[in-house]
Amino acid sequence: MQSAPLPETLANLLGLDPNSTAVMILLSLVGAGLIGTLMMTNTALAGPWAKRKITAAFTDRIAVDRIGPYGLFIIVADAVRLLSKELIVPEGVDRPAWDLAPLIIASTALLGFAVIPMGNGIHLADPEVGLAYVFAVASTTSIGLVMAGYASNNKYSFLGGLRAVAQNLAYEIPLILTGASVVIFAGSLQMSEIVAAQQQSLIGPLPSWYAFVNPFAFVLFMIANLAEVGRNPFDIPEAPTEIVAGYQTEYSSVYFVLIYLGEFIHIFLGGAIIATIFLGGPAGPVLPGIVWFLIKIWGVFLFTQWARSAVPRVRIDQLIEIGWKGMLVLSLANLLLTAVIVGVTVQ
Amino acid sequence: MSLEKPSRDTALDVGVTEDGLDYDALADLLGGHVLDREEHVNAEGFVIRPDEVQEVLSTLKEEAGFDHCACVTAQEYDDRYESIYHLRKYNDPTQELSIVVPSPKDDPHNESAARVYDTADWHEREAYDLVGIDYDDHPDLRRILLPETWQGHPLSQDYNQDQPQIVSLREHANPLKDDKRSEDDPDTMFVNIGPHHPATHGVLHVETVLDGEQIADLEPDIGYLHRCEEQMCQQGTYRHQIMPYPDRWDYISAGILNEWAYARAAEDLADIDVPEYAQVIRTMSAEMCRIASHELALATFALDVFGDFTAVFQYGIRDREIVQNLLEDLTGQRLMFNYLRLGGVAWDLPEPREEYFEKIRDFLDDLPHKLEEIHDLVTGNEIFQMRCVDTGVLSPEQVKQYGATGPVARGSGVDYDIRRDDPYGYYDELDWNVVTEQGGDNFSRVLVRLREVEESARIIEQCVDLLEQWPEDDREIQANVPRTLRPDPDKEIYRSVEGAKGELGIYIRSDGTDKPARFKIRSPCFSNLQTLPEMSQGEYIPDMIASLGSLDIVLGEVDR
Repeated sequence: MQSAPLPETLANLLGLDPNSTAVMILLSLVGAGLIGTLMMTNTALAGPWAKRKITAAFTDRIAVDRIGPYGLFIIVADAVRLLSKELIVPEGVDRPAWDLAPLIIASTALLGFAVIPMGNGIHLADPEVGLAYVFAVASTTSIGLVMAGYASNNKYSFLGGLRAVAQNLAYEIPLILTGASVVIFAGSLQMSEIVAAQQQSLIGPLPSWYAFVNPFAFVLFMIANLAEVGRNPFDIPEAPTEIVAGYQTEYSSVYFVLIYLGEFIHIFLGGAIIATIFLGGPAGPVLPGIVWFLIKIWGVFLFTQWARSAVPRVRIDQLIEIGWKGMLVLSLANLLLTAVIVGVTVQ
Repeated sequence: MSLEKPSRDTALDVGVTEDGLDYDALADLLGGHVLDREEHVNAEGFVIRPDEVQEVLSTLKEEAGFDHCACVTAQEYDDRYESIYHLRKYNDPTQELSIVVPSPKDDPHNESAARVYDTADWHEREAYDLVGIDYDDHPDLRRILLPETWQGHPLSQDYNQDQPQIVSLREHANPLKDDKRSEDDPDTMFVNIGPHHPATHGVLHVETVLDGEQIADLEPDIGYLHRCEEQMCQQGTYRHQIMPYPDRWDYISAGILNEWAYARAAEDLADIDVPEYAQVIRTMSAEMCRIASHELALATFALDVFGDFTAVFQYGIRDREIVQNLLEDLTGQRLMFNYLRLGGVAWDLPEPREEYFEKIRDFLDDLPHKLEEIHDLVTGNEIFQMRCVDTGVLSPEQVKQYGATGPVARGSGVDYDIRRDDPYGYYDELDWNVVTEQGGDNFSRVLVRLREVEESARIIEQCVDLLEQWPEDDREIQANVPRTLRPDPDKEIYRSVEGAKGELGIYIRSDGTDKPARFKIRSPCFSNLQTLPEMSQGEYIPDMIASLGSLDIVLGEVDR
């Protein structure tokens, strides 16, 4: 299962020397471009089209079906529409921070995909601290949210920014603690190792994915992930009916696209992490690994959309309470229990 | 029996007899305060001195049990100004009393009732705004519907309509500028929620002072949708020209309920009897409107709490659509029905009748299943309960102080429903229940609406049964009403019906012509909205938004 990272595969494919630094840098950039494009394509599909279709299915509607087959060309139409809109810069915004925020929100989530093994050798880098790296870059998004909220010179944005930080603080820790319990099982932070550790059979045809080995951790992680990507019941930072649109109130045109793009990539990154550490990464029968991997992250996406359509939003104080008093305690308990069980069985 | 009235508090029964109110006993209670007694169609009016308003009203409230100040009507006569306080009782709204307060023409002012009834605060502000009477000792006498800079009082006799109203940007009040509250206390923040905001259900502006995420102070600012409805009604003839307007007050599917408010007041004013057959049709169509309105209230409340145009919103709209179609079949319109006429309804049920009854029955048969679904998705949801139980709490005392009615009052356990307590139409012949919940919170109000949908369905079902068996030669849809109605001069009436949002009352004074001399609308939303600050003080923004949603206001009716 252990395959070489993408740049080496590319080098071998093109007949270039894998030991030359210049070649590897070049091919890493090419690989990053490929993975970035792959994820952006998914996002483009998800944002203007799939999200509408899915929500419509949940709410007894039809949604886009006029432009192209199944309304698919709405993606192009929306891209043109959004990019051609006027970029309104409100008076008194804190300029560099206000401009940088959408970039940070969109790019940090993309960075995480560098260490995700997507099957069929699509795996840009495989550092030994892979999982720690993913969590690290994913949580930097909060900085973008605060910058957006604070620099917008708008009270709704400000409230949204503060809410975003409070929420991410409260849910980042359970998220990482639950992730750590997987690390205890796998005995490694390296993504390829974690995937490899899930390939044996648990009972009969059931693979030993950590979602089956420790369903409790899986559920905790799914919930914390909802908060992490800000979807119902935890869409507090945006909360359209309360604080208009939270930190993104003042953003229009390209910046709006970037923020939305960032959000969707973030959902997919959450899906990718879940797929990798709980659902055996790209593993699956018959179909190639990359297809299975995409099916899994789309499954997680579907779950977030389901929650969005059917579950009410909690209040900010309730959110914090659930985070600190519930999730944190449960994830700590899960971590301790896992450590004990693994310690006993390994002996 | 479901239509029994709740037992009364006997200590407050001054003048209560078996055949109505004994006004002499009440006059005795007030003693020398009563200068004169007028005969209004609905109740007697006691004329009192303008500087004794608080004393008289407190006596009536404390000792005679008039705990509901339904409405304050102000008007200008040729020789005087007049404020009328329409008092009634929450446990029996047929016990009514009007307190008439004349004030001099050159300097119209009288004592404010806001210290006695909190609800009078806004009502008197409106009277000041539109008619121009000053209320002494009023806590906050400012214009309420018109902009602060408005010149003149539009319903006063010397108002010059052609005078240009110049409201320059410089003059116009900047809500932030004078707000010292946030400067005094650096920990608070002033936020304008609305007039453009996703959750204000129309154009409502809520001036909010936040302490962190909590509401430190809050004031609804209304008037953005003021369309001079009262004045327009005063310029229309009773017979035909007024009826289309009520549809535009609570314009969200409650049209026939509103029309009935006007119809009831005008019919009682002009002594018109409505044929029973027409009453049954009215009752049925009005309850359809109530279902449509409550479904929408639920949908938009879910929108506020769930946070997006989610499944519940769509389900609510989907179910409302069916009622809407039934109403369209009946009236030919989807929202602005204009279906009632003085003395009856515009036309009979659509032919073929069997098909129409079939449609209604199909809807009624499906309804329990749909409500079940809504209960599963909404009221049974634990997060929803977490959000709504014990938030936006309104005590029964506050309900009465602010004159809240309808599902808002019944959600706080105040058993008050005009349909039962002051029966009209065919309601007292039918078997149905008044729904109350004791919680007083957002959850109770939602529950009340959902259960009222069931009760309305029961009413419709009984009406359909009646209509199906109605003999063909007895289907009289309109009484014989003169082409031009000229009620006797100086007759005054205040009549109310149970609208979708609560007690929708109409005050009409006739002057012998074919148009009302004064037409005053008592909007339930207007009074209900006043409770918002009480509900939200100290709570979080999301709770305030939820409370606003659970009040179910329609700005068209608040502003009129």
